[in-house]
Amino acid sequence: MKKYISIFAMVLLLIGVLAACAPEREETSGSGDGDSNASGDGEEATSEQPESLKVWVNDSEEQKAALDELFARYTEETGIAIETTPMNMLDQVEALNLDGPAGNGPDLFFQPHDRIGNIVLQGLAAPIDLGEAEGDYSETAIEAITYDGETYGAPLVVETYATFYNKDLVPEAPATMDDLMAIAEEQTDQASETYGFLMEAANFYFSYPFFGANGAYVFNNEGGSYDVTDIGLNNEGAVAGGELIQSWYENGYIPVEINPDIMNGLFSDGKVGVAITGPWNIPAYSEALGDSLGTAILPTVDGNNATSFVGVKSWMVSEYSENKDAATDLAIWLTNEENSTFYFENAGELPANQAALEGEAVTSNELIAPFAEQIQFGTPMPSAPEMQQVWEPINNALLFIAQGDDVQEVLDEAVQQIQDNIAAAQQ
Amino acid sequence: MSTANSTAKTSHNPRLAVILSILLAGLGQLYNRRYVKGILFIILEVSFILTLGRFLNTGIWGLRTLGTLEGVDNSVFLLIYGLISVILIAFFIILYVANVKDAKRDAVRLRNGEKTPTFKEAARNVWDVGFPYFFVTPGLVMLAFIVILPLMFTIALAFTDYTQYNQPPRSLLSWIGFDNFARLFFETGGAGNNIWQDTFISVFTWTIVWTVVATTLQIALGLFLALLVNDPRIKFKRTIRTILILPWAVPAFVTILVFAAMFNDRFGAINTDILAMFDLAIPWLQDPFWTRIALIMIQTWLGFPFVFALFTGILQSISKDWYEAADVDGASRFQKFRNITLPHVLYATAPLLIMQYAGNFNNFNIIYLFNEGGPAVRGQNAGGTDILISWVYDLTFELNQYSMAAAITLILGLIVTGFAFYQFRKTRSFKEEGNI
Repeated sequence: MKKYISIFAMVLLLIGVLAACAPEREETSGSGDGDSNASGDGEEATSEQPESLKVWVNDSEEQKAALDELFARYTEETGIAIETTPMNMLDQVEALNLDGPAGNGPDLFFQPHDRIGNIVLQGLAAPIDLGEAEGDYSETAIEAITYDGETYGAPLVVETYATFYNKDLVPEAPATMDDLMAIAEEQTDQASETYGFLMEAANFYFSYPFFGANGAYVFNNEGGSYDVTDIGLNNEGAVAGGELIQSWYENGYIPVEINPDIMNGLFSDGKVGVAITGPWNIPAYSEALGDSLGTAILPTVDGNNATSFVGVKSWMVSEYSENKDAATDLAIWLTNEENSTFYFENAGELPANQAALEGEAVTSNELIAPFAEQIQFGTPMPSAPEMQQVWEPINNALLFIAQGDDVQEVLDEAVQQIQDNIAAAQQ
Repeated sequence: MSTANSTAKTSHNPRLAVILSILLAGLGQLYNRRYVKGILFIILEVSFILTLGRFLNTGIWGLRTLGTLEGVDNSVFLLIYGLISVILIAFFIILYVANVKDAKRDAVRLRNGEKTPTFKEAARNVWDVGFPYFFVTPGLVMLAFIVILPLMFTIALAFTDYTQYNQPPRSLLSWIGFDNFARLFFETGGAGNNIWQDTFISVFTWTIVWTVVATTLQIALGLFLALLVNDPRIKFKRTIRTILILPWAVPAFVTILVFAAMFNDRFGAINTDILAMFDLAIPWLQDPFWTRIALIMIQTWLGFPFVFALFTGILQSISKDWYEAADVDGASRFQKFRNITLPHVLYATAPLLIMQYAGNFNNFNIIYLFNEGGPAVRGQNAGGTDILISWVYDLTFELNQYSMAAAITLILGLIVTGFAFYQFRKTRSFKEEGNI
């Protein structure tokens, strides 16, 4: 009898599974395809001003305080209330993936540009038209937020790294690679733990400029889209860059074991002449060294300016927003000259707005100004989703280079591995 | 059965009751003239179908198709709704089976002329017998949704094509059967080599070595120290015990990070202060072999206090009579240890020790925090000390092959459960009393 019952239950279940049919849905709601532009234009006709906009802001205290002030001004100007939700920038995509389709998502969210490729693949961001404002941003920033020919987001912040030096040890910042090598040769004494020049050379993010200055590239970029089959990390320029980096280890300038904690510790102790790192270290360094701290753009390599990686953080419009136009207006307003200057003064992040970047507020700050200058020589980090498959192989390659392996061989292997990884990821 | 009774109704047909209750829950009970119960069953069933029918329909449909309209249907949501529906239907089926069984039992009683309890009596009976179940049920229901649902979700993902280039809400997922597993083991890949297969085997072997060596060492050290401290000649037992427990008291991730700094090849205390005295400099973080040694030593340090505490408790509870008897027989110190102490200790703790092995098999924290699975090895996709779990973690973030990660996780889960299950069956401690 038991058998009959269970068989009956199975049959019932099977019938249920096969008989279950699709619920009724509206086919037009929130499509993730490129054609959403067309439907967006259709809605525009109503062009009613929304009562409020929802914005997800990064959960850093300073940034939030600066933005709250700006939002208050915006509400005063336009009458549109702004609801903010603080959420770590890096968690926003995952949350939007769930909240967006459920209708609880924001109109605007805040993202670093190198995640754009992934965001577009998930269909979470709407391409926006910056209109006349497009010319106001620095070229690097616009290049960074352009993906497959469309612009995603209004850039607020640009970020790159530059040279820090200790004026007590190095009176003048090294202008060329040769100067830097001379400093390293002269001042490095590993036995007493003093170093002329330190950087995280085994981290591709920081060592890219020395590849790029010689003509290496990650993915070939033509007309705003990346050709991920064309990887330039084992060409002649890359090998030259790799050999340059290898020479630092071979000459004993930089120890293989360096990591950010150790480097920051040594620099703060005044045991390092020159260090290459990002502006986030300014507060800690200037507290430790006081007026002895100086910053400068990266030294030139064989007469070429070093092409540091530039990161751009921008306001992106959610694909699920019902007020895309109003959200775009807010994003552009937030990133205009006045407001990005205000944001820079209060949150300390470099503005992507060209006029603000060249403005008094930035240039009068001795420690920050070189970073603003370095931006113009920089290359935006590739925003293609395939970039994620680049980091580990190339960082490992840098480690092998540091350990003295043949540069060409190591880089060939790394490129092969990147291609394999990309192939595996796309399967 | 003892009472011969005149009320027996040989015409009452249990089979009919069963068929009726299958057709509609409660009908069989009505046929048995258990009206209140029958009506309750009918109300329960009808309300279940009315309130949840639509949800279940959508859920099952979603589970079958994972959505049909790109950009509108969200496959992940549909998958979760579907799994919730499956759990609800499972509850429903359990109730239904209970209903059929109940109808049959009552019908048999009725035919035999046994006195059927009134509804009131039956209710009291259920209250008395079912009281523990009454309290356990909410917990079990919660468990189904909090533990079983995510588990089912992971299992389901392993059979889909969820990758970075095919992810909701923009794209739809679809069922691809065992393709992920086939790729892992058999495929030779488009680029000529299969990164999954090559790396899987080398990572797997290290995972096994790591599990066996690290766990065995921590148990051996724990046992050794417990025996030492338990020796009657030792004084200040409490103080010594407290000190030995300390590594356990510090949060593991703090200890690991401190060790990572201490093992730094050039700047760490171990090379600069300790080994420098012997003119040694070991590449702890650069050479895979030494990194493995360092990891095993750290895990031994982290793991022994628990084993030590466990064994100390057991040792104190072994009756002195055993040893006195052994002394009379002239047993040696080693014989006493081998035949009295060891069996006592292992008998009581075997399941917990097995859990130590299972825990180290998936000990992500130490591998990842110490050196992120590094150092890198040329021509290999995983670092020199990556165990399966940390390798899967890396792959998920690097390749974003979510469904592949789920497939590997499933294999890991099966290995650990299989191992644990086998061992638990073999050890007697988990069998119920009297069933030995």
